[in-house]
Amino acid sequence: MKMTKIYEGSHQWIMFGRDEGKPGNIIDTNQYVVRTANRCLLLDPGGAELFAPMMAAVLHHAPVDQITDLFASHQDPDVISSLGLWDQALTNAKLHAPAFWEGFLRHYSCESIEYVGIPDNGGTIKLESVELQLIPAHYLHSSANFHVYDPQAKILMTGDVGAAIEGPDTPVFVENFSAHVEKMRHWHQRIMPSNQAKRVWIERVRNLDVDILAPQHGRMFKGDDVKRFLDWFDALQVGIAV
Amino acid sequence: MTNQTKSQFIAVASITSELSAVMVVAKEISLAAANAKAIAFRAGDKAKGFQPITDFINELAKETIELVTNINIYALVLYRLTVNEFQKTVAYNKFELASKMAGDAVYAKSMQEPVEHAKLSMQDCQRQFKRDVSQLLGQLEAVMHHARAARVIAANSRIEASQAGEYLQSLQAVAESVDKAAHTIHDNVQRCRIALSIYRNS
Repeated sequence: MKMTKIYEGSHQWIMFGRDEGKPGNIIDTNQYVVRTANRCLLLDPGGAELFAPMMAAVLHHAPVDQITDLFASHQDPDVISSLGLWDQALTNAKLHAPAFWEGFLRHYSCESIEYVGIPDNGGTIKLESVELQLIPAHYLHSSANFHVYDPQAKILMTGDVGAAIEGPDTPVFVENFSAHVEKMRHWHQRIMPSNQAKRVWIERVRNLDVDILAPQHGRMFKGDDVKRFLDWFDALQVGIAV
Repeated sequence: MTNQTKSQFIAVASITSELSAVMVVAKEISLAAANAKAIAFRAGDKAKGFQPITDFINELAKETIELVTNINIYALVLYRLTVNEFQKTVAYNKFELASKMAGDAVYAKSMQEPVEHAKLSMQDCQRQFKRDVSQLLGQLEAVMHHARAARVIAANSRIEASQAGEYLQSLQAVAESVDKAAHTIHDNVQRCRIALSIYRNS
């Protein structure tokens, strides 16, 4: 599992992905960790197949008993089907996930972990002195969907928005935006169902100060590429399969 | 999923299936008892010896239905336990793998406690499964006992039927149906016992 530190300040952001041992027939995912002095938050911790390499990778940054929070942007298996395993490994943890999906996510088993349902209008996650904002991103693509914004690190974790499906050796950041566009087009047109939802989200995100846009698949966007991505996404017609 | 786990799931699932067939047959016996009672009533003195037998048959059928209902509830508990054991085993294996993969990670040792805890939980489930299987086998033995008793009753019914004059054929048919049902129950329960016996607590 490749680990890349993407922010270092009063706390850290680490991106995990490009797992070499991953079975070839499951989609590659990016996991993110926010690490404060005594606590650790896993964002979209991944599928059950990924649990062991992910846990092993996290142990380079935090002990098990300091993994206190999990976040699931939505209910997909590549996002959170490892929940049943985290549930058995962690003794004092919370899962922050859409309230709408609680009855669904509990199918993965969530007995010792406390399910903290995020209401439709969003909320926050307080991690010691760090306050992360939960930005509504409904219908992008899931009908109850949230992104995580860190105003201090200026990182926006965007789940499936900005994703591209690429090979295991793909760089972690977009290097040539124009060349990258074609890798994202079909994904966004096919998986995102609503132009209206897309416009509302873009308007919301344009009001945030974002240095890094961090999707759950593929490469992250930084600097001017964040604005380029928003402009490109704004112009894209989605929901094409009807 | 290992072959051991698969066969455990199949064994537990097959109990429910075999027992639902037993339930149908037990209800048939109950019906046969009601039928026999009506015939014996019509036959009057000619079937005097048959009348108390019908009560026996009915009682036996009721007890079998009750036993099977309880066993079915127990089988469901056993199924849940199997699922639980499977989840604990998966967790233990994944935790061990994570621990191994962590290698010289700064916090690798913090994984020891979850690994140990998962191992104990898995072993607890395995022990509980064996204990529950032993108890279930005991309950299945009670159903077998009822099936054997039904066969004895069927034999007695044949003897009594032979003295019932024009009601001989009807009463013999009742005896036959009880005997056949007892056979079916015996065979089905025996298959349950064979499927489970390999998991019995030694």
